[in-house]
Amino acid sequence: MFGLSRRTLVGYLYVAPLLVWLALTIAYPLLSTVILSLQDIRIIGTEGSFVGVDQYRTILTSDAFWSSTGRSVIWVLGNGLAQTLAAFIAALLLREAFPGVRIARVWIILSWIVPTVVVVIIWRWMLSASGGIVNYALVSFGVVERPIGFFSTGTSAFASVILINAWRMFPFMTVIMLAGLMRIPEELYESAAVDGANAWQKFRHITLPGLQPVLFVIGLLGTLMSFNTFDVIWLLTGGGPAGSTTTLPVLIYDTAFKQYRLSRAAAMSVVTGILLLVFALTFIRLMSPRTEEQESAL
Amino acid sequence: MKRSRRASFVLIVGLAALLFVVLVPFYWIFTSSIKIPQEIIARTPTLIPQSFSLQHYDKLMNSSQFPVYLRNSTMVALATMGVTLLLCTPAAYALYRMRLPGRRTLFRIILITYAFPGILLLIPLYSMMSSLRLIDTLYALVIVNVTFAAPFAVWLLQAFFQTIPPEIEESAALDGANRLQILLHIIIPLTAPGLASVAIFAFITSWTEYMFSSVLIISEQYRTVPVGLAGIVGQYQVDWGLLLAGASVTTLPVLVLFALVGRYFISGLTAGAVKS
Repeated sequence: MFGLSRRTLVGYLYVAPLLVWLALTIAYPLLSTVILSLQDIRIIGTEGSFVGVDQYRTILTSDAFWSSTGRSVIWVLGNGLAQTLAAFIAALLLREAFPGVRIARVWIILSWIVPTVVVVIIWRWMLSASGGIVNYALVSFGVVERPIGFFSTGTSAFASVILINAWRMFPFMTVIMLAGLMRIPEELYESAAVDGANAWQKFRHITLPGLQPVLFVIGLLGTLMSFNTFDVIWLLTGGGPAGSTTTLPVLIYDTAFKQYRLSRAAAMSVVTGILLLVFALTFIRLMSPRTEEQESAL
Repeated sequence: MKRSRRASFVLIVGLAALLFVVLVPFYWIFTSSIKIPQEIIARTPTLIPQSFSLQHYDKLMNSSQFPVYLRNSTMVALATMGVTLLLCTPAAYALYRMRLPGRRTLFRIILITYAFPGILLLIPLYSMMSSLRLIDTLYALVIVNVTFAAPFAVWLLQAFFQTIPPEIEESAALDGANRLQILLHIIIPLTAPGLASVAIFAFITSWTEYMFSSVLIISEQYRTVPVGLAGIVGQYQVDWGLLLAGASVTTLPVLVLFALVGRYFISGLTAGAVKS
């Protein structure tokens, strides 16, 4: 039939349900976002009229959108730095052999698999200004005189949320980083030691190049995953105080479901999608590891 | 490799710090949840509980809406798990075992959907559910959760499907088994650990989901655990005992399920990451 063997046809039949599902719940909605963004719907279910690119004009000239974009960039960079650093240290520790290492390599991922709302409850409770254990420790060790409201000023709220999110996500990065480290043959380090290489040289010439494929995955996936973070920020600060933790996802949610401007939020989604696409393509072009290895993976 | 004394010292200190950072927050909420209210809010925190009381759990299960949230979350998570397995098992089989023309492109499409930021779908999926009249139903949540669990599930399965030697399938084919029989009787039993990880990944994805649930569900009777708990967080006077008990109960199923398949889950995750 159509020059395809029966076997191939059966193969496509097996993949089809998943592809159709993804087309209906990802591809189709993406197209409909564009249509929504050209109207002026406020609350879903109500009728809107076609207004062309008005929403885009409003967004692209609004401070709120661009300052949220800026915050998203800081958010992604801050998270990337904190997570990569923590993950690298954790992966170096877990690469060693010690009693219980097999259990540790699995359970390190704990904070990544618990519901975000639990993460939020944990840190709200620990960082509480009235009776939180972190403030208690800081006061008793004389670091501060009185309890700090971690979420009460803009800068400290943003820093706190970044660190809490990094705490939640770094174990995921650790697992991937560890897999990368384990692929670097031990002999390379041994022969480098024979040649008298110091720790930095080993890191620079063996570890870093060896980690490149994994760093590529972490850089791309990690950025997109961090960018997408909504619930941690929303539940910890609601985007405040005074908008200081409103990243793009928070702005989109708030615009659609608190300010009831659905079409405007749709337009924001479109612009955000384009920004992310540009990022992803640039990243792939610049950082992609040698392709032969990729091709042979499949 | 033999470690020097200094290296052992650094390793022990480092591991202790890691253990502290990862586990202490969980220890702290759990032990606090079994304290009496006076001890929870005491000016001097007690690292080891000085009182023991299940009153917060009693209140949570008997005089709050939590059991309703728990039931909804469980139903949605089980359905998400079932649908994800039904969609992903045959797809992974065809992609990884059948040398399908264009499978690389298909695999890439699925990878892209995995990295796809869910926030971009919030508005259109909401409006789609609205036109399908699925707002305020648990079906809407199942649909959304499957969409976010499935691509990663296919990714996870790669490692498990590719380790099966082709001879096993070939000999079954020689014995006259068709593709479906091979899938059902040979591949599925051999990839059971992978399928179990995928099932549990789908369950946990659904169990954790907050953003879509917070807008797709309107009535209290269909609320899931994350949204329900978040409602308590947002109250003016936070009942910490109740909230900590709720957080502990919410974490428990994740721990139990992960204890069963955690090892396979991690190996699937790393194989996918290192290869692709």
